[in-house]
Amino acid sequence: MATATIAQPKGRRSTRARGVRVFKWSVLSPLILLFAFLIPVFLLQIYFSFHSWTVYLSTWFDAEYVGLELFQEVLTEGRFWRAMGRSLLFAGLSTLGCFISGFILALLMYKPFRGQAFFYILFILPMLTVPVVIAYTADMLLYEKGPINGFLSYFLPGDLSKFTWLANPDVAIFTIILLEIWNWTPFVFIIMLAGLSSLPTEPVEAARILGANRLQIFREIQLPLLRPVIFLALILRFLEAMAEFPKTWGLIQGGPGTATETIPIYLYFTTWVSFDISKGAAMSYVVMVIMIFIVLTAIYVLRREKRALDALHETSRAEA
Amino acid sequence: MSEKRIKRRSLLKAGLATAVAGPAVLGGAGKSHAGPEEDAVIKAGKKLGGAKLNGMMWGLYWRNYPDLNKEFNKATGISMDKVSDVPNLQIPQRAMAEAITRSGKFDIFHVESMMIPSLAAAGMLEPLDDHMKSVGFDLKMVGNFETFMQYQGKTYAMPTDGNVCPQFIRKDLFDNPDERKAFADKHGKPLKWPVTWEDELEVMKFFHRPDKELYGFGGLRDKANSSFWYWMYLYSAGGFPFDDDANPTLNTPAAEYAFDTWLARKQVSHPEAAAWGSPQMIPRIRNGKIFSCQYWDGIIALIESPTAKTKTRGQWHYGLVPGSKFSGRLIHRAFSAPVMAMVVNRHSPRKKQAAAWAMYMSTYKNSAEVVGHPLFTFHDPWHPGHMTDPQVTKVYTKAGIKSVEDNLLVTCPPPYVTGYQEFKEVVDRNLSEAYAGRKKGAKKVMGDIQNEWAKIIRKVGKRKLKREIPFYKGMMPKVDKPS
Repeated sequence: MATATIAQPKGRRSTRARGVRVFKWSVLSPLILLFAFLIPVFLLQIYFSFHSWTVYLSTWFDAEYVGLELFQEVLTEGRFWRAMGRSLLFAGLSTLGCFISGFILALLMYKPFRGQAFFYILFILPMLTVPVVIAYTADMLLYEKGPINGFLSYFLPGDLSKFTWLANPDVAIFTIILLEIWNWTPFVFIIMLAGLSSLPTEPVEAARILGANRLQIFREIQLPLLRPVIFLALILRFLEAMAEFPKTWGLIQGGPGTATETIPIYLYFTTWVSFDISKGAAMSYVVMVIMIFIVLTAIYVLRREKRALDALHETSRAEA
Repeated sequence: MSEKRIKRRSLLKAGLATAVAGPAVLGGAGKSHAGPEEDAVIKAGKKLGGAKLNGMMWGLYWRNYPDLNKEFNKATGISMDKVSDVPNLQIPQRAMAEAITRSGKFDIFHVESMMIPSLAAAGMLEPLDDHMKSVGFDLKMVGNFETFMQYQGKTYAMPTDGNVCPQFIRKDLFDNPDERKAFADKHGKPLKWPVTWEDELEVMKFFHRPDKELYGFGGLRDKANSSFWYWMYLYSAGGFPFDDDANPTLNTPAAEYAFDTWLARKQVSHPEAAAWGSPQMIPRIRNGKIFSCQYWDGIIALIESPTAKTKTRGQWHYGLVPGSKFSGRLIHRAFSAPVMAMVVNRHSPRKKQAAAWAMYMSTYKNSAEVVGHPLFTFHDPWHPGHMTDPQVTKVYTKAGIKSVEDNLLVTCPPPYVTGYQEFKEVVDRNLSEAYAGRKKGAKKVMGDIQNEWAKIIRKVGKRKLKREIPFYKGMMPKVDKPS
């Protein structure tokens, strides 16, 4: 009997272990296949970034080896760093804007109320709109004597009918940032709503019983518990914003001049307008390294936040 | 020409009779429509065997072709089976991707003709001369315009859209006696059709009335289109962007004059012009909110066509663009870009059929149907026959078609060399920076362009460009002014 009771769990364990292995491989196989297909692309990119080739110079495998020359060209180019600066400004400000507005919406929406579903759909609509459509719609709305200026003129002092949103190079980048905020606020809203909904109710109830007001509860309890979710939302949004292309291209192709020329726009110009495939490849590697650095920092911050949260849970469990 | 017109009239009569006689007779209408030029292409096409072609063309251009495509398919078994609807500005990139991959997937690309040198250099284009010779097809275009389809003496494309930019001036204002008197009083000389760019600026300044939603100038100044107008000013000043050794010559007095002329229009343009392309500018022209401009000739049809819904029909003068006396003599130069044309992929297994298809669409009669469409006006006249064709004249008006012909006789391309897109991007960007106020002074702007061009020249290959420049020079009009 005793032998049988020991043998049965062993068999079950091995079956389960096999099942887990099968599951792991079924999930991993497509990823491995994807990487297998991507490896030649990466290798070709590396080849191009070390060889000077444009489409006009014979076949690509005859291209001249130039070593690190193209990387040096990219890294010492003012236009590249200006585009990088614009990208960071764009991603930073738009992420901040998306976060503030998305979080406020989530705070307003996370407690059930009548008609909540309607508002939920309404608030996520911008995210479901195709970015190019947003660009063209914005183009019509932001016209000097268009509806936006007309609307703002009712509330703001001064003659806004002469305010140019896109033609002024000092303003254009902020116009695109506003569009990005409008487009992607729902993304942060959904993440923060999920975060708020999954918060444990006990600490809030306890704080309320102890006499804490709403602001104190938010600042001392909800916000610390939400920190990993907040960081996740910020990091995902920032990375997404760094790659924004369709709205900026659809609206003003990085213009006027280079006022809205971000890294994706400059990369596109280099590779597909100037057909400088090699420089484009080198540039994309430089961008990739910068992005990897940002992602690694983000992962480090997320892990730290998770550890801090786990420690908080441990402490509260121990106290309980 | 007159013989052709008589034939056409009799054809129309026959068509009418056929329509009355009923569907049975209508079946034969397609056949009666073809002329000797079309018959020759059909005959050659039949010998090649049927093929289902794959093309890339913007939908706004393709909409003129389905009937002709059916007709050619019925006669030869060759048809454009799939058309990828891609906007003009994106097609060069797609065509170049095909040049790199050599997949042979696409048979025909409808692309701007300035890309011909770059695409030929990338080894993508099929020369069409032998195909034309085998059919006996003779490509005729107004003036020197057929060189826009060639590269180093070989023909690589079949035109679909002339796209020259004549002068537009508001007739109702220009002819208004009160306005004429006011102008004469102010300037001490009568109001005349502008002969030089300086004259045009003076007239535009007079009529520039932003408080009444009327702007003096309606040319494009956005990043994607800025350079087109610049070339016109440069060529009319006797300038040329390269010397014979393929060095850039954009820091010359003529180039700086062209820049100043280009930038001077800012004072009579809409404040948002820096961000406006055609989608924003065309409605303003059609609604009469612009006094003067050089603009693509399709807008004439868009305004004047009998079926066009427009407020300003009959309210425009169309004519020759102004010129410049900068070089010491008066030179008029118009610009044609993008001249849309069909190129055949050299790597396509169906290139012979593709060439036949492209030729069939470019015969005089078929192209007249395409450019003379009363509603779909993206294709503009280019064939000498179009200039007198009743269907085309009805859509463009007599004055309009005369202006198209006059400007075609002095029209010029942007730099017609390998690397066109790179050269253009540099000029567009720098001009756009200057327009936005981020760069100041002709010397600085043109100097920057000069330096950036020098790098592109090194990349493309100086020897290669040196070989190309004589052909590019040869594309320039042979006259200073149309006779």
